[in-house]
Amino acid sequence: MVQASQMGLKAVGAGLAVGLTGVGTGVAEMGIGAAAVGAIAEDKEFFGLGLLFTVIPETIVIFGLVVGLLLLFS
Amino acid sequence: MLAPRRMSKLLIVASRDQLPVVIAELYRHNLFHIEEFVDSGAEGYEGFKIGSPLSGASEASVDLIKIRAIENAIAVNPDDIEPRVLDKRSALKGQIERELPAIEREVENLTGKRSKLETQAKDLEQRVVELTPFAEVPVELELLRGYKGFSVFAGYVAREVVITGSSEIYFAKGKDRSFIIAVVPAEKRTEVEKALQGASFQALQIPGESGFAKAKIAEYADRIAAIAQEISGITKQLADIRQKHTGFLVACEEILRAEVEQTEAPLRFATTRQTFVAEGWVPTTDTEMISADLTKVARGKIFITVLPTDLEHDAVPVEYNNPSFAKPAQLLMDVYSRPKYTEVDPTLMLAIVFPLFFGLILGDVGYGLILLAMCFGLRKFLKGDEGRQFLTVLRNASLSSIAFGLLFSEFLGFELPWHPLIFSRHLNIGGEAGAAGAAIPELMVLSIWIGLLHISLGRVLGMINHARQDHGDHRIKTVMANFGWLAVMWGIVIAIWSYAAMPLMPDLRNLPVVGPGINMGYIIGIILVLVGVVCIARDSVLEIVELPTIISHVLSYARLVAVGLSSVAIAMVVNFMSIGMFITPGLSNLSIVGIIMVVVGVVIFLLGHTLNTALGILGGGLHSIRLHYVEFFTKFYKGGGKKYNPFGMKRRFTED
Repeated sequence: MVQASQMGLKAVGAGLAVGLTGVGTGVAEMGIGAAAVGAIAEDKEFFGLGLLFTVIPETIVIFGLVVGLLLLFS
Repeated sequence: MLAPRRMSKLLIVASRDQLPVVIAELYRHNLFHIEEFVDSGAEGYEGFKIGSPLSGASEASVDLIKIRAIENAIAVNPDDIEPRVLDKRSALKGQIERELPAIEREVENLTGKRSKLETQAKDLEQRVVELTPFAEVPVELELLRGYKGFSVFAGYVAREVVITGSSEIYFAKGKDRSFIIAVVPAEKRTEVEKALQGASFQALQIPGESGFAKAKIAEYADRIAAIAQEISGITKQLADIRQKHTGFLVACEEILRAEVEQTEAPLRFATTRQTFVAEGWVPTTDTEMISADLTKVARGKIFITVLPTDLEHDAVPVEYNNPSFAKPAQLLMDVYSRPKYTEVDPTLMLAIVFPLFFGLILGDVGYGLILLAMCFGLRKFLKGDEGRQFLTVLRNASLSSIAFGLLFSEFLGFELPWHPLIFSRHLNIGGEAGAAGAAIPELMVLSIWIGLLHISLGRVLGMINHARQDHGDHRIKTVMANFGWLAVMWGIVIAIWSYAAMPLMPDLRNLPVVGPGINMGYIIGIILVLVGVVCIARDSVLEIVELPTIISHVLSYARLVAVGLSSVAIAMVVNFMSIGMFITPGLSNLSIVGIIMVVVGVVIFLLGHTLNTALGILGGGLHSIRLHYVEFFTKFYKGGGKKYNPFGMKRRFTED
């Protein structure tokens, strides 16, 4: 029983880690993405740099994913 | 390798009557990057003027515009056509004079006719739209207009309307609105208008046609069909022209473009009344050859010299210099930015590491094979240079995925007949993977190792770049700052090693103890961090704020494992859902329900793996390239070099 609820809480923790960091990344990329698309519309050369800026907050959700995986599987 | 091609600045001076031969020779070589002359009275160029085009420039431009218009009309794009040499230049020149006007006339005629027919068809369709509401009205249309003593209302109403007194009403009830025609005496007009407005009346114009609307609609539909047939005939004729003349047109375009570029070249040179001066860049290895050839065609009446290169002020054009297997990766470099002339060119490293990262993330034989098949399939559609480069990059990445898939023992999420040769990524989903499960901590540490080494490489390259580009005091400071970043990173790592044991990492807890809970490793780590911080601060104090990025950048490499594991997880979930939950129970009980279950299972399997393939390309590609752009390049790479764009053309359809 205790073990089961521990497993359950771990799963909830992993879910929260991935879910909340996902939301965080989404919020952060929202503004950058919109601005990057605007910039690319003006100048196609900006594509590489725009992509780079847009994916910078992706690190947040990767951290969440790492935490989730470590919680569940190690 | 690791540096752009060496360039030399060439100065060519000759008398103006040599212009055509010199230009033709430069164009043939396709190596001379013209440094454009700007008439700004620069030192040494007082009294020079921009040159004027050679004879024949305007005729060639006019012909070129004609050809491009024709190509546009029949949708020919030279980039989509397999290059093959069709004709000699001299033979084609005559053909242009003879055949081009005829083709132009024909195409112009046909497109003109087509657009006229299209307008007609549109006009008829509009009339049909106007007539449609009146289709069921049982009177001829001319009876609905032209009265002095009566007013006619036609249109839609939302509900039924009561019109008192003498009137003639046609009312057709519809689903949400009804169609009404009301003929009333002219003096009752205002009153009826009001009543209709109460029922939210939308007036329709009475069509200016005669006869019954239904018959008219049928007649127009016939005419539209006839026009459509005529248009398709014309389209077929245009397609025939396309079929017949595509080769000729692209070859002509090539010749004329070459001619226009050559005749307009003097606009980029400095000239006086008698002479011209051309400055430009050629690869250092080709300087001798070009000088010799130019001297030959000008019969010695030309002065050519190599000017000294001033790396500070000259914008030297940059041409990659990579072994052929690394060439496709230049595409990924250009997306970010072309290296500067003085910079280390990381294309080679990108070409090796990008596929490895991709493979490490995707790491599945099945998906790798799907990607490989896609590469060969797309080869038919992507014919331009960039498309080809992209496909080669993708091919390398998919080969690497297959290799890693064999090591990870993965095929669409299933295990291959052997156990993983390196760390297992098989998660325990639906009891599929057996007892072992994934070696997550080991994989994580592996990715951290990759991050540490990749970033260290970046910092070392940063030192090299700064040592090359900066001068004096500043140079020492910037090189030391890069060293400082390395010292802080490794200092932190050593301190962690002497504090905790981790798989795959050295355990420094057994070093001699210095104080309570503090051993030598710890001390060395702290000293490295302190020295590093001082080095960084000496270059720029503000950079201290960036210190946490050391940790976040290294940890960012954990995505190599995390993204990969999520794709394994999706694959295994899809397999469990389709096979475990539908196909196996369905097969064990082969009734109608069983067969439906098998079909549903197969659909889930296909959809799930299609989705995961798409995610795999996106995840594998985007994350690998991002690790390069964000974590690796920011350590040393600036970019912003000028593209080497030699005067000339790679001939695809013609020869001299």
